[in-house]
Amino acid sequence: MEKKLSKKALTKSFHNWYYRHLTCFSQEHMQTFGYLCAMLPLVEELYDNEDDKAKAMNTYTAFFNTEPQLGTVVVGITAGLEEARANGAEDVDEEAINGLRAGLMGPIAGIGDSLVVGTVIPILLGIAMGMSTGGSPLGAIFYIIVWNLFAYFGMRFMYFKGYQLGGKAVDFLIGAQGEALRDSISMLGGIVIGAVSATWVSVTTSLQLLNEEGEPYLVLQDKLNDVFPGLLTAVFIIICWFLMAKKKMSPIKVMLILVVVAFLGVLVGFFNPGLAY
Amino acid sequence: MTISWLQAVLLGLFASLSSMPDMGGSSIGNYTLGRPLIGGLVCGIILGDMSTGILVGCSMQVVYIALVTPGGTVSADVRAVSYIGIPLAMVALGSYGLSAASTEGAALATSFGTMVGTLGTVLFYGTATINLLWQHIGWKAVEKRQYKKLYLVDMGLPWISHLACSFIPTVIMCKMGADVVEMIKKALPMDGIAMKTLFTVGALLPCVGIAILLKQIVKQVTDFIPFLFGFALAASIGINLVSATVVAAMFAIINYKIKMLSVNKAAVAADGFDDDEEEI
Repeated sequence: MEKKLSKKALTKSFHNWYYRHLTCFSQEHMQTFGYLCAMLPLVEELYDNEDDKAKAMNTYTAFFNTEPQLGTVVVGITAGLEEARANGAEDVDEEAINGLRAGLMGPIAGIGDSLVVGTVIPILLGIAMGMSTGGSPLGAIFYIIVWNLFAYFGMRFMYFKGYQLGGKAVDFLIGAQGEALRDSISMLGGIVIGAVSATWVSVTTSLQLLNEEGEPYLVLQDKLNDVFPGLLTAVFIIICWFLMAKKKMSPIKVMLILVVVAFLGVLVGFFNPGLAY
Repeated sequence: MTISWLQAVLLGLFASLSSMPDMGGSSIGNYTLGRPLIGGLVCGIILGDMSTGILVGCSMQVVYIALVTPGGTVSADVRAVSYIGIPLAMVALGSYGLSAASTEGAALATSFGTMVGTLGTVLFYGTATINLLWQHIGWKAVEKRQYKKLYLVDMGLPWISHLACSFIPTVIMCKMGADVVEMIKKALPMDGIAMKTLFTVGALLPCVGIAILLKQIVKQVTDFIPFLFGFALAASIGINLVSATVVAAMFAIINYKIKMLSVNKAAVAADGFDDDEEEI
């Protein structure tokens, strides 16, 4: 008789992944234990024999780590593959399953990091911060609701698409249409982040030159803003980008450089936060 | 403002839930409770000053707007930023008598949060290292085919790691924090070089957060244009963030349609039929 995974087992497997993918994280095994927990309900339903169970579970002891939200599709795909293996599909063995997992986790981590963590979350946070201006809880609540609905149903969709379509499910992520979609979302992200920077980041200089009567005849900040409002902020952001992207510095190193820049800037009077009791 | 034991315990609990590697899955933990904006809401409610909490959270959120953890390497720890940094920043603001809505207040909060967040990475690596113990138990269970035990290993035992690396450090730091803030206040006068530097750093740090994000988006120089376009929308034209998102979405749709034109054309040329099926 053809074995078919029940909706209940698949849902349980998805929930195990959704809630537990990183709970037992270590540098050595990363998401491997989350993956094992996600596969367990499926393996238990597909096999009665203890040896078969052990053989199936051993497949998933191989190292796994990817971007967990988008990576749900891989869990879905292996659910489908495990079902096929239980039905005696000859070309689906441990090697094939792990080859696929290993092959997908790199590209999906790359796409997921830039799409989910690098674009979708910042866009949502940008909007939320706009709504929370002045200390209103509205933006935070907006983010909690929208992000969690998006993550839950998005991941659920990915899981079941992966289960139904197998390897084809990733085609639309990696394929030309996915590429066009990602390019557009990244453009959306770029514009929103620009607006976030102009709204929330403010680098200003206090440098001014005084004439003989002690009145300022050159206020550098105003001159810079005449060129492009917020120019100094944009320049500092681009310098930070340059140090990290081109000079391959770590964020912490760049932060330390900024500490030095701030210190020197305060000494020469370029920066002055204007503190007073 | 002081933090009571009960408040510190609640903050410790949220630190355990939000930290990376997180209890409850990264969608709820790291990406919801761990975001400083949400941390600001939670800390604000716990400490009884929601609007200050959110304002502090917003200031810190800019620094960590794109906290990507490629391959499990972290440059800051969200539990430390959100549940140690924010409460301490709130205490500091109260002590200095600064409003969280002011530029100085935001700069102070950012400096505090980032300092704590960077030091907090030790908590991240600590948790991950203790988890190795539980994983050892897990491998034994797999060998012995006691698969039910995997749930305990993945869900139950890591709470012990969090007790050691999230809960206890948060409670202690929050309890001691108020005294440390007072100490700093006495040692460093507001108009001295040290405090001026601290506040200036606070204003500069968000640049790093934005730059981390740009690193993801900008592959060539022309990719800066959307960023500068958005910047000009807000800075020069004065459009708010929600409206800027709508304008950005319009451009994204146009871009998508143009890209898809060439994709479909290529598909027609390649196999003679047009695949119109939209998967999304």
